[in-house]
Amino acid sequence: MRLIKRFCKSMGVLLLLHVAAVNAELNDKEAALKAGFLFNFARYSEWQVPATPVGYFKLCSPDSDFLDTASWVLHQQTIHGLDIKVALVELDSLSINQCNLLFVTHRYREQWFNTDKSLLLHTMLVGETPDFIKLGGHIRFFLASGKIRFEVAPESLKKADIVMSSKVLRLSRIVKGGEQ
Amino acid sequence: MLKPSTSACFLLFCASSLVAEENNPLSSLELESLMATDVQATSAMKRAQSAFTTAASLYVLSKEDIKASGAVTVAESLKLVPGLEVRQLDNNQWAITARSVAGRYTSKLLVMVDGQSVYNPAFAGVYWETLDVPLYDIERIEVIRGQGGLLWGSNATNGVINIITKSSLDTRDTLVQVSSGDQLNYDVGLRHGGDLGNNGSYRVYGSVRDSDASKHGTKAEPNDDAKQKSIGFRLDFAPNDDLSILTQLNYTHTDMGQNLKALSVETNQNTLHQDRFQRQDGRVMARAEHRMSNSSNQMLQASWAIQDGEQLYLDERFQSLDIDYQMNTLFGRTQFDWGLNYRNSDLPFEENALISSDADLSRLQHYGAFVQAQFPLVPETLNLIVGNKSEHNSFTGWEHQPVARLLWQPSNNHVVWGAVSQGVRIPSLAEYDYDSALNGTRVGEFIQTGIDAIDQYHLRTVLNGNQQVEPEKSLSYELGYRFSQSNWSLDVALFHTQSKDVFAVQPNTSPEGVDEIFALLAAGKYQEAQQALTETVVEFDVVSNAELNVKGGEALIAWQPNPRFTSELGYSQMSYRYNLQPDTQPAIGYDSDSKQLFAKAGWQVFKQHSLFALFRSINSDAYRVDDYDVLDLSWNWQFKPSTQLSLSGKNLLAGSHVEYNNTSETFTVPNYIEPSVVIRLMAEF
Repeated sequence: MRLIKRFCKSMGVLLLLHVAAVNAELNDKEAALKAGFLFNFARYSEWQVPATPVGYFKLCSPDSDFLDTASWVLHQQTIHGLDIKVALVELDSLSINQCNLLFVTHRYREQWFNTDKSLLLHTMLVGETPDFIKLGGHIRFFLASGKIRFEVAPESLKKADIVMSSKVLRLSRIVKGGEQ
Repeated sequence: MLKPSTSACFLLFCASSLVAEENNPLSSLELESLMATDVQATSAMKRAQSAFTTAASLYVLSKEDIKASGAVTVAESLKLVPGLEVRQLDNNQWAITARSVAGRYTSKLLVMVDGQSVYNPAFAGVYWETLDVPLYDIERIEVIRGQGGLLWGSNATNGVINIITKSSLDTRDTLVQVSSGDQLNYDVGLRHGGDLGNNGSYRVYGSVRDSDASKHGTKAEPNDDAKQKSIGFRLDFAPNDDLSILTQLNYTHTDMGQNLKALSVETNQNTLHQDRFQRQDGRVMARAEHRMSNSSNQMLQASWAIQDGEQLYLDERFQSLDIDYQMNTLFGRTQFDWGLNYRNSDLPFEENALISSDADLSRLQHYGAFVQAQFPLVPETLNLIVGNKSEHNSFTGWEHQPVARLLWQPSNNHVVWGAVSQGVRIPSLAEYDYDSALNGTRVGEFIQTGIDAIDQYHLRTVLNGNQQVEPEKSLSYELGYRFSQSNWSLDVALFHTQSKDVFAVQPNTSPEGVDEIFALLAAGKYQEAQQALTETVVEFDVVSNAELNVKGGEALIAWQPNPRFTSELGYSQMSYRYNLQPDTQPAIGYDSDSKQLFAKAGWQVFKQHSLFALFRSINSDAYRVDDYDVLDLSWNWQFKPSTQLSLSGKNLLAGSHVEYNNTSETFTVPNYIEPSVVIRLMAEF
């Protein structure tokens, strides 16, 4: 018992000694996987009316950390023959109307709530907050059994004149209704 | 601009082979590959983390390998795990363990399905032949060799096997699988899954299997044909992103034949019996996982298992209720995990001609707690992991299993780890309480009277369970190294386990009884002596006074030169040595040396055609059988996107061979394992 008491005491001391920054590694892996999913959402979808055409596929996000990872994962990849350009955007700027795909991470939920959605009529909108689709998004990531899964609102995508392949839809959880 | 830590985390993507691609962070950008990738890789340390940086001897068997191998049962699929002892007794029964000598009724291996134990405390083992989990619904099998899994519970001193099934979210389709072969008459599996509202999903499944008996027996005509039926379902429900609930049920009915060497009550001698046994196994479990914050998760799991079995001289009724609670927290960079567990097992004893109970124990309780903390002594380079599991059991009271691990990652692709741990194996009910009749002791071995009726008489011989027995304690030292390069990796582990209070068997013959018989014989009173013999019992006691020294190592090289070819080459070696007290015999295994060479390869020859090969060279004197080299070979043809045909040749090269012949430890009489062929059609739509 004395050994256990001593063990518990020393563990408590060590706990106090090691309070530091959060572990970023797992977030990086999650971000890499999400970048891979975005690539597949784009390549298995057809923009019947492209967002403002700029000669390349513009993948936008307000989250610079995510874009660091995405630029590496998607290096030299193309979508429908177009090079992918990852772009840092501010959700309250007019430039978001040039995005073909916009990914809004958790930390930008409030800004997303206030974003002018009329600038994003033909942009694929992907997020990860629980209410993202209710707030006008098309696709939302979630975690299930340690893996990344996603739900899709096909009706909302259709309103944006984007047709997604059944190859992706059958792997998704379908959300009916979309924006409320 | 890339962050330096990014390259480190991408090395964690490896699953079965630990192969990472330095320049291509995701092994593939294909949708199917991304769907299959875990954000965190394994739960080996009771917390999801990468296999590469786990400070234990861990192997993750992937669903891809299981599918490509053409395996039919869970036990057969474990042949794909390097370093594991997997011995087949007949067409149905198996002896499986790690870093020890395998036995059918004796094991120190903890086996779980989705965290629910399938261990039977009556004999401290697993009925592998009745563990029917549909292989196409298995996500992965995590195998910890050695004491790396002590936090999962007592009796995990040889290792832990955790079979993790797929979320029903990933099985929302219909699957039909039909297999047949020269020994397998048919094996038909059907599974259907779908959505349940906006937040849930389900799958239901069922299977029937019918197989023939072996062609050749070692001592009797084979009788090991089998009929097995299973049904089950799984529901996954996630009302929000922070809460997920899993519920599942499985029921299996098994009707199998076996050849038994069992005692005849009339003659006190072992006699060969052709027996049929029937078992019914049910498992129900529910688990809720709750993300409390970005740095804390909690989990509550409740499960109930029932095992009913009827075989010669033995009717078993076993039920257990398990409740587990666990919390994982991150304090800065310090990981802190703790949990509580409770198990209530009901094993009503049914007296029979061979087994009696001293204490008539029918209810066993285990409860305890574990705590584990991982401290980054040097951030991202050196981690100290300390933990302890303390558990109270009905036999020996409180037992403690402390463990300390050190993980050093000097660069992104090198990991060195070491561990010191103390494991406890508590006695099984058979070792603690049951008195079991054994093959009788012949009088002629002690005294020759010249009278056949006396010299050939077999005295009733009983092995007594011992309520004074101490739990077996193992102190294990492990050292491991992993290296991962762009297309190959190396995983090496060395171990030395010293155990004390190990179970042994010691004679306990009443001297007065024997003296009385000798006196009667000396006086020429043969009839009286014969009468006295029928009332004499030769007794052996289970004692815990042996010492056991097990040491060895495992090495595995994985090489993936391109996405179409994967391979693994492994070697393991083990020395198993008892230090016995005078007049005692070992209870599990005997002094032996074992070596295993292992090679596995998967090759996508053409877009629709792939080959899979598993070669094992088995060299051991632990099972009273010859060494053997065995090859399993499978060809898979994906002739439609949703339909696959496969042809597997099993147990090739070795011919007709015996893999296990320690019949003193098991009642089962083994049969010859034969080369066989299985053809399989699988369609998903």
